Amino acid sequence: MLAIVEQGLILCLLAIGVYIAFRVVHLPDLTVDGSFALGAAIAVRSIVSGATPVLAISLAAAGGAAAGFITSIIHRKLKVNVLLAGILVMTMVYSVNLRIMGGPNLPVPRVFGQQEVVSYERMSGGTMLDDLFADQGLIEEETPPPIRERTVVAFFTNRLDGSDLAKISIVVISAVIILGAFLKTDLGTSLRAFGCNPSGVTAFGMSQTFLAIIGLLTANLMVGLSGGLFALYSGFADVSLGQGMVVTGLASVILGEIIFGKVKFLYGLLAPVAGGVLYQALLSTAMRYGYRIGFLASDMKLLTALFVISVIGVRQLASSPRKQRFKAEVKKLWLNSRGSQ
Amino acid sequence: MVELQGITVIYNKGMSNEQKALSEVFLFVHDGEFVTIIGPNGAGKSTLLKVILGEVNPLRGKYLIDGRMMNGKPPHYLARFIGRVYQDPNTGIFPSLSIKENLLIASRKGIRSVGFSRLKKRGLDLLKGLGLGLEKRLDVLAGELSGGQKQSLAMIMAVFSGPSLLLLDEHTAALDPRSAKNVMDLTKRINAEQGITVIMITHNMEFAGMYGTRLVEFHEGSLIKSDNRKTHSTKDSKGLRISLSSN
Ligand SMILES: Nc1ncnc2c1ncn2[C@@H]1O[C@H](COP(=O)(O)OP(=O)(O)O)[C@@H](O)[C@H]1O
Ligand SMILES: [Mg+2]
Repeated sequence: MLAIVEQGLILCLLAIGVYIAFRVVHLPDLTVDGSFALGAAIAVRSIVSGATPVLAISLAAAGGAAAGFITSIIHRKLKVNVLLAGILVMTMVYSVNLRIMGGPNLPVPRVFGQQEVVSYERMSGGTMLDDLFADQGLIEEETPPPIRERTVVAFFTNRLDGSDLAKISIVVISAVIILGAFLKTDLGTSLRAFGCNPSGVTAFGMSQTFLAIIGLLTANLMVGLSGGLFALYSGFADVSLGQGMVVTGLASVILGEIIFGKVKFLYGLLAPVAGGVLYQALLSTAMRYGYRIGFLASDMKLLTALFVISVIGVRQLASSPRKQRFKAEVKKLWLNSRGSQ
Repeated sequence: MVELQGITVIYNKGMSNEQKALSEVFLFVHDGEFVTIIGPNGAGKSTLLKVILGEVNPLRGKYLIDGRMMNGKPPHYLARFIGRVYQDPNTGIFPSLSIKENLLIASRKGIRSVGFSRLKKRGLDLLKGLGLGLEKRLDVLAGELSGGQKQSLAMIMAVFSGPSLLLLDEHTAALDPRSAKNVMDLTKRINAEQGITVIMITHNMEFAGMYGTRLVEFHEGSLIKSDNRKTHSTKDSKGLRISLSSN
């Protein structure tokens, strides 16, 4: 249960990124799939090369921001549709990730502070991870003295004792507060203005290109951050980690809007946060009990996408003037059928 | 002063759907003038405004403001001297921002810093001057206003930062007659009281007859008539005066 909340909170940051792209600046940005995996790859590679966790996660966020920057430049300067621009960057990032990781995946070396390891192992009689790392020949890194100079400290303990949750919560809460404050500034207000009337901002002397850059940069910064934390939390980065992450983010945003749709506090940022956690909860429930009705874990992306489609479909029907006509038609048919009986 | 010297615009030049929109147009607009432009659909009226806004680059001809060349300047740069309001009431405002935020955006032209600016008194005064009671509804989303209210808000947003020129493209065409009349009177007050030069396109012949210090007619991409006229503006505008200036 705690693990679900922890993972859900990490993916909230992804949902917030998707929210900024899709809802604040209204740019359907597919870079997200790439920048999530990029964040993961950068974070793990940094840890492997001896960076502190905070530095690793900051670099992951910066990597995501860079991907968003490139997408916005391709979109605005080369006049490429934003969807295509996102796909182009996502494709490029795939290759870049393979280079960063030096292969299709990269595990986080788990080297705890010395005393911590001792007490933990005394307590539990060895960790499952020991077997895992022994297989990969990583376990020796834990014991020989030189390692203490190259102190690699795991950011997450995965012990479900609340310390991970506290760390994740601090990151998410600060992100929400900082972004909420940012969206209130002059620049943030301009971003929201750009989102609801892009050509309108030109009339007030602002460059659409600049605002698109800031929007996608911020969005993918959050996504890269999310990817970095996700990798450190789950102990590995994988080149396919980002696959379908736009849809996951969008599903979270939509779920959140269903709950918090009317709440305008912090410019609707609560929606992706609530949605992100709820989505993870639903997902794990579905994975756990879904097999009874024949679902496989591999069906989840299909289900997620179907969920997004159905919500969009329902909204479309509810908002279009056709709804009224549709209702009238149904009524007429119904009356006719009664009349003919 | 706005000077257009021999402006020629051809859309899709060299392609099968090539379309000449303006040919050799000369137009000089003096400070404080209120130019009303009429002409049938496709005459090139909107294209002329797009040239002035920097959204369309003329194939030939010079475009100057106060003697400075403006050819090739980007739209967001030109926007610093020029306000505009179009036909669709949703294009001149930001529907998902509050009225207050709309005015904040309009209060200073150009990309902002990340600072938090406060709504200047002038914004409230402009809003009060509309007489629509919007100053009491600052936190209402602009998208929830009626068409006439949106267009009135768009007008004061367009002139908030004190541009020297206001361009209007059928800005009353989507409104009911009453709102249209109100917005026209507002237009006249802006011209008379703030001294902002107005160039207005209209299909409403009644308005074309009533408003403006000069009537210009376009036909098939050419300026075919430009008549100065004696206006009854000074007197009328005094009678209608609701202060738009700040003090
Ligand atoms: N973006 C465009 N691309 C191609 N042709 C255009 C474009 N905009 C306008 N035109 C053409 O240029 C001519 C002038 O259009 P416009 O300036 O909109 O006229 P008006 O505003 O007087 O109705 C018309 O024939 C129109 O079809
Ligand atoms: Mg037109």
